Amino acid sequence: MTVHRRRLVSVSSWQVTGFLALLLLGFLIAAQAASQAPRVRYTTQERQPLVETALGLQAQQGALKERIVSLRSQITEAERSSEGSNVLVRQLNAASQAARIAAGLVTLTGPGIVLRLEDSPEQVPADTAPDDYLVSGADLRTVVEELWLAGAEAVAVNDERVVGTTAIVDIGGALLVNSAYLAPPYQVTAIGPTDLYQRLSESASFRDFVNARATRFGIRLSFAEGSDLVVPAFAGSVSLRYARADLSTPAPGG
Amino acid sequence: MRTSGSRLALTAVALLLGFLVVIQLRAQGGGSGLENQSAQELTLVVANLSTRNDQLRQEVADLERQLDARLAEQARGGTSAGAIRSDIERIEAWSGAIGVTGPGVRVTLRGDVPGTAVGDLINELRNAGSEAIAVGGVRVTAGTVVAGLPGELSVENTALPPTLVVEAIGNAATLTGTLARAGGVIAQLQATYDGLSVEVTPIDRLILAASERDLAPREARPKL
Repeated sequence: MTVHRRRLVSVSSWQVTGFLALLLLGFLIAAQAASQAPRVRYTTQERQPLVETALGLQAQQGALKERIVSLRSQITEAERSSEGSNVLVRQLNAASQAARIAAGLVTLTGPGIVLRLEDSPEQVPADTAPDDYLVSGADLRTVVEELWLAGAEAVAVNDERVVGTTAIVDIGGALLVNSAYLAPPYQVTAIGPTDLYQRLSESASFRDFVNARATRFGIRLSFAEGSDLVVPAFAGSVSLRYARADLSTPAPGG
Repeated sequence: MRTSGSRLALTAVALLLGFLVVIQLRAQGGGSGLENQSAQELTLVVANLSTRNDQLRQEVADLERQLDARLAEQARGGTSAGAIRSDIERIEAWSGAIGVTGPGVRVTLRGDVPGTAVGDLINELRNAGSEAIAVGGVRVTAGTVVAGLPGELSVENTALPPTLVVEAIGNAATLTGTLARAGGVIAQLQATYDGLSVEVTPIDRLILAASERDLAPREARPKL
């Protein structure tokens, strides 16, 4: 008893601190090793100009999208200011706003959920396909489709609004959504009924997806609910080159 | 002596610790994600961004023209009724709120596939620049999902027949080329689903009906 106590006393504070620091060190080394798998870091020389070009194009795209959103609001502003007491123009402006909201051209806010998808932190076993451990375009499409089926009214992947022309395609280990290059982690925001999360979690096909991707390959999936989430407006092209309105068939319900 | 040695060791550990924390935070921060791509993948990223930016530039030019026209009308003291009306028509045609017509392709699928396979096909049609799509005569909007197991597919609560017809308006040659290319979506579907036959036919004039889905949100409201 005495011996034990003396031993305890002999452990000085710097030893405790040192021990804790080493423990944390080990933890960080492990975390670092884990975070490097399964993605590979390339370090070849020819990549640098390509990375710089891509970053430049991304910056240009950001500016172009801002310009599109700004021009659209200027046009709406011009239309509104010219309506004056003209009832017809006022009605048309209201119809125009409704059409834009329905098309995804207006930023919306409301209750809903945010899903976050991240690549698997697991070490890829030697005899398996490393891609199975990464979040793919098919994963994102499944999540977005499940949200629509659960009653979502507006969906965005990171800052890209999902509209009628939105494709989600794999590009290397990342995604192309609308015009944007998106890298993981991916955040899917959906506005919808207040029980959207419950509806989603009750879907058999969504549970199958969670089992197939999260349980089996360790794709990380997390949720958060919110009462005033924001889904940005679509900032891309709405011009039609091949299709035009077919006025021979009336729209249902006007 | 012992104290200075231990201090030195602690300092070294703390330094290494700080260094690792920074690296770890950087790795988790994700950054642009470009650092994880090979040179080949980066070339693909650059080509795609470049094409998409050109489309955005075209949209900016169109919007600038629209704005100039509105401001000119305003200066003349006139109203923009006609212009607003045609703008609404274009947006409704684009979103699926009204019927559309134009050239494109008709894709006929014979064989058992799940809803996700039709979803893959629709995704590829969108990626190839389709301006409007319909499945089994039902117009596809942003929230339209083809769901169900093979043999029991449905879309917007409408059961789909065993022979599935997907129609898309757009550049017929581009659409056909994208779908049918080696390793493309048709090849992938046929490799996955035994006995699936897929036929792509260019059509001069397709007519796609308006969506019957209510596109107006109930819970979501415009953010001011």
